[in-house]
Amino acid sequence: MKDVIWLMRRVLRGSLRRKSSWIVYIGLPLVGILISMTLYGNSTGGDLRVGIVNNDGDQVVTQDAIKFIEDLGQIKITLTDEASLREDIAASKLDSGLIFGQGFAAAIRNGDPIAGKVDIVSAKGAQVTAYIRSMLQNYVGNSAAIGRVTQGDASAFDKVYADYRENSFKLNATTIEDTTNMKDMTYQSIGFLVTFMMFSAVNLTELILREKENRTFNRLLSSPLSARSYVLSNVAVNIIILLLQIVLTVFLMKAVFHIDSGIPYTQLVFVLLLFALASIGLSLMIVAFAKSTKAAGAMQNLIITPTCLLSGCFFPMDIMPDSVKKISHFLPQHWLLDSINKLQHGESFGSLGLNFAILIGFAAAFALIAVYRFNRNNDARLFV
Amino acid sequence: MNVLEIRNLTKKFGDFIAVDNMSLNVREGEIFGFLGANGAGKSTTINMISSLLRSTKGEIVILGRSIASDVQFAKMNIGIVPQDIAIYEDMTAYENVSFFAGLYGLRGAHLKERTEEALNFVGLGDKQKSLPKNFSGGMKRRLNIACAIAHRPKLIIMDEPTVGIDPQSRNYILNSVKQLNRMGCTIIYTSHYMEEVEEICTRIAIVDHGKIIAEGTKEQLKAIVTDTKNVWIEVRGGDHLNINSVKHIQGVLSVRLDDHMLKISSKGEINNLNLILQQLIQDRIEIRSIEEQAPNLETVFLTLTGRNLRD
Repeated sequence: MKDVIWLMRRVLRGSLRRKSSWIVYIGLPLVGILISMTLYGNSTGGDLRVGIVNNDGDQVVTQDAIKFIEDLGQIKITLTDEASLREDIAASKLDSGLIFGQGFAAAIRNGDPIAGKVDIVSAKGAQVTAYIRSMLQNYVGNSAAIGRVTQGDASAFDKVYADYRENSFKLNATTIEDTTNMKDMTYQSIGFLVTFMMFSAVNLTELILREKENRTFNRLLSSPLSARSYVLSNVAVNIIILLLQIVLTVFLMKAVFHIDSGIPYTQLVFVLLLFALASIGLSLMIVAFAKSTKAAGAMQNLIITPTCLLSGCFFPMDIMPDSVKKISHFLPQHWLLDSINKLQHGESFGSLGLNFAILIGFAAAFALIAVYRFNRNNDARLFV
Repeated sequence: MNVLEIRNLTKKFGDFIAVDNMSLNVREGEIFGFLGANGAGKSTTINMISSLLRSTKGEIVILGRSIASDVQFAKMNIGIVPQDIAIYEDMTAYENVSFFAGLYGLRGAHLKERTEEALNFVGLGDKQKSLPKNFSGGMKRRLNIACAIAHRPKLIIMDEPTVGIDPQSRNYILNSVKQLNRMGCTIIYTSHYMEEVEEICTRIAIVDHGKIIAEGTKEQLKAIVTDTKNVWIEVRGGDHLNINSVKHIQGVLSVRLDDHMLKISSKGEINNLNLILQQLIQDRIEIRSIEEQAPNLETVFLTLTGRNLRD
């Protein structure tokens, strides 16, 4: 064990001394998060910009209706005239507009919500008008109901309406956060992280080939260090670096970019760590089959990029055809992303046993193939 | 006492026999020369002694213990200076030696002391903090040696330690080998340079086609060829030479043409020089000089194997 730790120290020191390693291990996942934020960040939240044209003067009912809209939250109102309203909407300076027609207050007083209708203007359709329309209809409906009950008696209307304002029709609005974008952003950030983790794993395991090429491998194995300890130290360093990569990425997502993954972070790290094992297994397999670092580089490009593409690391799986979805079941990336997806949709951690078992199975299968191949290679490689 | 015993060692790669039933002993305190052309089987043998390769058959015993039963003991007592320089370019000279010594269990003050000792021994004491990428070929070779000796092995295997370096570094390394030997190390030394082997080795084995074809002190090896004489004839127009016709001259044992030098071994009791010269003149070969060679390791090797060591 001491020799494993001794070798790990060298590999870690050697890896972390190189600037390129930092770019691969830390820089690229960071870039992945930034790409995800660019892709999904634009559609998140923000206030609805509503222009209001009041053609009904200083009527109390009209002023109250405007105040009601303003107090709804996540709405920013601008008082304007009709011409400017249409210009600003066309120029996307406003999302929608409300035009309170003359006689709006009078119609309410008469109990006629239809006659007191408000024109809603928008260039973006129902997606920005539906919320205001439904809330305003509610308010106008209640006020008009007072008008109907008082049957045109102005003083009775004022009295009941004053009570209504005071006792208040209070709208307790609780904002339910739309987490869809955050989940998508997490999913895609993890997709990029997965890709970079796989490249990092191969980059680290390639060290075995580099050592063979510069002959230090044979020199090491002629020391009391065994081949098993040598590979074990490489795997251990790989786990440390990938864990560092995972923790740092998750930390950046949470603390710096404030991306709410919708999954407890310990669970996220655990699932990613399982995938890291599968990545290391794959990297060992690539190194076992490659005869040189160049060959390993070519193999990693041939394997990692297409499989990540097929598994939904770069694009959501929903847009993929069914045939691709079926193929992705044979790839470890799919099972990681599937686990994250299920956790985001509220499935319990304990119910994902099959996903975890499959990820471990991939890691074990890759590692066994690598060990088999290493053993077969051994004599031929040293043949001189 | 034998530091190394090799008994009926065989290594096959498929149908190819790289080492063929080889047996030899290396005694404590020897500098043992291991001579053979490329592909003769010496590196395969060294790889088996270093535990890098498993033998197909036979046994290797280091300091009385079989490698098969106690590989760690063997590794702890061997220092390998590989033919290809095996150092880390991104680590300083000190870090390189310290790292390799650490693999043999050295730690702390002990490790520091041995590392500095090894670097001083190879003349790199003042280059401890330098990166090998800034070293000359000779300095890298010396660092390669330092990495092999810091743990003070009883047996040091040096595989072509002077390839591709300047004469000054070569002399430094040869003197280091002698000094290590005086300090009690047993050394196995392989080289393509006969003069090196002749200068430093106390006993020599000649390997060919996986077998030891001769073994002994240099005097004993030279005695093998006292019944032969070697004539080197410098020629021009060697392209016209019919080597077979020279080979068929009475008493000729072997003929080689290296560049412009025709190397002929003949039975000592037969005087065939006139016949050889007549043949050359008949083949319209221009003769520039004729020299009779006293027996040396190169002529021994040529006589025994029919080829040059650098083939």
